Order: sequence, then C-alpha cells, then structure tokens
Amino acid sequence: MNRSRTSLEVIAPSVEEAIRKGLSELGLPREAVQIDVLDEGSHGLFGLGGRQARIRLSILAPEEVETAPSQPPAREAPEVEAPTPPATELSAEDELSLRVAIDAVSELLALMKVKAAVTAHMGEAEEARNRRPIMLEVHGNDLSILIGRHAETLNALQYISYLIIGKELGRSIPVIIDVEGYRSRRERQLRQLARRMADQAVKTGRRQVLEPMPANERRVIHLELRDHPQVKTESIGDDPRRKVTIIPQ
Amino acid sequence: MKELISYIATSLVDDPTQVRVMENRRGSAVNLILKVAKSDMGRVIGKSGRVANAMRILLRVAAAREGIRVTMDVEEPR
Repeated sequence: MNRSRTSLEVIAPSVEEAIRKGLSELGLPREAVQIDVLDEGSHGLFGLGGRQARIRLSILAPEEVETAPSQPPAREAPEVEAPTPPATELSAEDELSLRVAIDAVSELLALMKVKAAVTAHMGEAEEARNRRPIMLEVHGNDLSILIGRHAETLNALQYISYLIIGKELGRSIPVIIDVEGYRSRRERQLRQLARRMADQAVKTGRRQVLEPMPANERRVIHLELRDHPQVKTESIGDDPRRKVTIIPQ
Repeated sequence: MKELISYIATSLVDDPTQVRVMENRRGSAVNLILKVAKSDMGRVIGKSGRVANAMRILLRVAAAREGIRVTMDVEEPR
C-alpha cells in the first residue's frame, strides 16, 4: 500500500458505488478512511442528464484507526462526515488539479460512450525537481477498447486529457492514466523481460535487441538494468521504431 | 461524435466561440470537419498532427460503439 496516498476522489453513478470503488482501490476497510460526499449526484437515465456522485476518501493515521476496533462491516449505510479530521489534507492546489482531471477524463469517456468510473490521486515526482503527476485510474467492465493496440487508445486519451487539464489549470502537470491496472501489469512484464534479456546477453556474450517500444516503455527497461553490473543499455533507431539494445560488458 | 470533437476543441483553443464541427454522413461513414480560429489551428493539430491524430483515435472508440466509420479533417476558416 502506498503510504503517501492520503486522499482519493472517486466519481461513480452512486455514492455507495463510489465508496466501494474507492475502498477497493485503496485496499482499506471502511473504518480506515474518512468519507466526504462532495456531490451526491442526481438521477437521470445513466449518463444522460444525471450527475455522477463524487466522494473523497481520506486515509486516517494508523493510531486513529486502531482506536476504532476493526469490526466486521456492521452497517451498510455510508459513514459520511466522520467527526475525525483527515490525517493529512490535500493542498487546495492538488485538490483543484484532481477535480479538474477527474472532470475532464469523465467527460471524455462519456462522450466516447464508455461507461466507467474515474478515480484520481497525486503521484510521487520521480525526481525532486519534477512535478508530481496526476494519477488517474479508470474502472469498468470490458475496457479493452480503451487500451487499444500497443496502448494506442490509452495514450491518446492520456495526451488529450493532459492538454485539456493543462489548459484549464493554466500550467501543465504530468498526467498518467491507467485502465484496470494495464500500465502496472505492463511495467511488471517489461521488468521481467529486461532481466531475462540481460541474462541472455551475459550468457551468450551477444547484444540483445528488443522490440520497438514507445519512450515510456524503453525507460522502464533502462531503469531496470541501470544498476546491472554486467550489461549496459542503449536505445537505437528513430521513433516509432526505436529499440532498446542490451549490451554485455 | 460531433460532441466529442467539439468538447476537445473548445477545451484546447483560446477562442472557443470560433469552434465549429460539421458532420457529413454517407451511409455508415461519417466525416467530421473541425474549424477553429486561424490562430488556434496549431492547438488542434499539434506538432506533426499529434493532437488531431489523438482526437481521431478517440473518435474511433465512439464510432465503434455505433458501428460506423469516422474520419476527421481540420480546416482553415474561410
């Protein structure tokens, strides 16, 4: 569990559904978070005129949770407006960024006729000088259409969202969109591939040339093998055919 | 589909009042024509057409849902 994630906004067709989605994303029981209903939403035929419900889950500090004995989920009614203040508040700036991001992506998905819920949180900057990215997660059934071949559709959605969010906020912030964990699965696969191909390079003494990959995927390979004592990595060729080469030392 | 392009374009340009999207239907094929203020052309096309191409990819998702084919062109204002 990522400890740095202290607050999460979720949009879903109903408050209950938003809470369920948010808790499952956080992997936390209901008593470990404070739930604020930001917008109860309004009914309407699904997606037509109806407004989606919006809630915020704030993770309570561990000591606050332990005082509340963890009981089996006693009631189904949402615990709204818990009296304890959240352990850490999102800055007003982050909160605005997340809201703008969730709105933009939800609007795009609705106009693409894709039924899905969107959650968001601020990620960690990779290096101190970088901006923290807005991390968005899209949940729903059968969303493979949103990923596309080589994540083409997902990358297009991410790029357009990044532009809209940047324009709206008046400054650009990195935006990363994942659909049903696709990006994290892909990253794991790439790391495994990197290690396997590095072994091969060492064993055979020959350089290994990987398939062409987009920049973000090549980066995963370079980072994975950065500290490998027996190989170095290099990218060769031009986009979109640029490939990572693993060279035995 | 028209609404998707119209939303993206008005969100990206400096002058949203000049955004127009026209839709021409020929059977199961739809051609959209996007017009924006001259000074906003770059924002909806992007470097090497990157923005327009991303819009086309998203359009394809919406079109697939309706079982149609869709193309999009960006035109200079007259």
